Amino acid sequence: MAIGISGYGVYIPKLRIKKEDYAKAWGSFSAAGVSEKSVMGFDEDVLTAAAKVSRRALESVPIGPEKVTRFALASTTPPYVEKVLSGTVMVSVGIPNQTLSSDHTSSTRAGTEAMLSAFEHVQANPKGVALVAVADAPIASMWDSFEHALGAGAAAYVLSSENIVAELEGHASYASEYFGERFKPRDESLIHDLNVKKFSESSVITNTTKAGNALLKKLGRKPEEYQHVVIQQPDARVPTTVGSRMQFTEHQLAAGMTSKVLGDLGAASTPVSLAAALDDAKPGDRIMVISYGSGSGSDALSFKVVGDRKAAPRFQAEADQKEYIDYIKYLKLKGAIL
Amino acid sequence: MAHVSIPMYWRTIPQRYSLVGYKCKKCGSVNFPPKGVCKYCSASSEFEEVKLSGRGKVHTFVLISAGGAPPEFAEQEKAGGQYPVAIVQLEEGPKVIGQIADINPKDVKIDMPVTTELRKIYTEEGVIRYGFKFVPAGK
Repeated sequence: MAIGISGYGVYIPKLRIKKEDYAKAWGSFSAAGVSEKSVMGFDEDVLTAAAKVSRRALESVPIGPEKVTRFALASTTPPYVEKVLSGTVMVSVGIPNQTLSSDHTSSTRAGTEAMLSAFEHVQANPKGVALVAVADAPIASMWDSFEHALGAGAAAYVLSSENIVAELEGHASYASEYFGERFKPRDESLIHDLNVKKFSESSVITNTTKAGNALLKKLGRKPEEYQHVVIQQPDARVPTTVGSRMQFTEHQLAAGMTSKVLGDLGAASTPVSLAAALDDAKPGDRIMVISYGSGSGSDALSFKVVGDRKAAPRFQAEADQKEYIDYIKYLKLKGAIL
Repeated sequence: MAHVSIPMYWRTIPQRYSLVGYKCKKCGSVNFPPKGVCKYCSASSEFEEVKLSGRGKVHTFVLISAGGAPPEFAEQEKAGGQYPVAIVQLEEGPKVIGQIADINPKDVKIDMPVTTELRKIYTEEGVIRYGFKFVPAGK
């Protein structure tokens, strides 16, 4: 039985800050390849963004929230460390209280982790309808140079065996033990990073290429058989580094390079970038998605595009709708002025 | 701060998160928020729950500036400046009060179409109070 994506939606908060504003404030801007990034408004958080993007995904099919039999939520930046987070979104959207829900929060891999748990539900329940909402707006200390990349965005997916626009062909994962890169100790609310660059890079490359190559092998594919490749984007350079190790070209990466204008979307990086790639894809195209979470782990998913129903609004429309803020406003919104 | 206790807030979640209205079984008017007796016909206390669309038009509005904001919204005013609060007539009839977000306060107009979204309203006792705000329609 074929299962896959039956509908999807994307939401990008409209506020933006340019790299020039960072350079003015700090003398430099540290996010490679990022020209500007998205910022959530004062009255938004990952749960309000998840509620909004969930509705969009359901409407794109279209299917009513009462049909959802599995809900998975993902973010590295939930407003509470302990509390059922999915309940807020379910009640707002109208997903039945009886629906099994799960909250995935411990790494930037959480988005694909939620998608794969939801796919397992659909695989086991052919009539099941899963909704996955991934929203993120990671926070770090303003003194930390990797804070510069952190943006905000959300994507949601309806997964089922009906009305499929992109069929799931297969997936592979890899998890291993690394540390020092992007972590949040129990008693801290901000991300730490020990800035051991080469060590972190080897973790990224090892995990993503192991997952990605395992999937290529499983499906008997060559890298050039993919029209679109979406790779985790802590900045706009990492996908190129990983991509070149796996023989993927800049051209294959182009449609999913959301970080250039939105920054690091954390757990929502690959889900939002996949939405951008789906908007651009034609039936028959193949899309490879490779996520990464520090600590470390990676999921690789392969899709075959079989329909041309797109997100409404499309990714590009969301990316184009923007209002610029300066660095002082940014500090206020991020709660960095105490 | 205008204190709203946790149980009191919880009881209003159907209205605040998903705009549940109460249709009078006698006259058919939609009450929002719920009333003991229908505020339109005063002749019935039996209602049917209906999910409202959230779409409507600005009936009237006011702009809240520094010093005018209730204490729970003072931080919002300091971070973002002046904000609009409107009475919106929903498609289903009821007039509902709420903030309008995602708009320059100067661009708010009477009769402009709006829709609703879940937003953070304010935080009290460490609990984020979510609820609806209006946003310009067609976004």
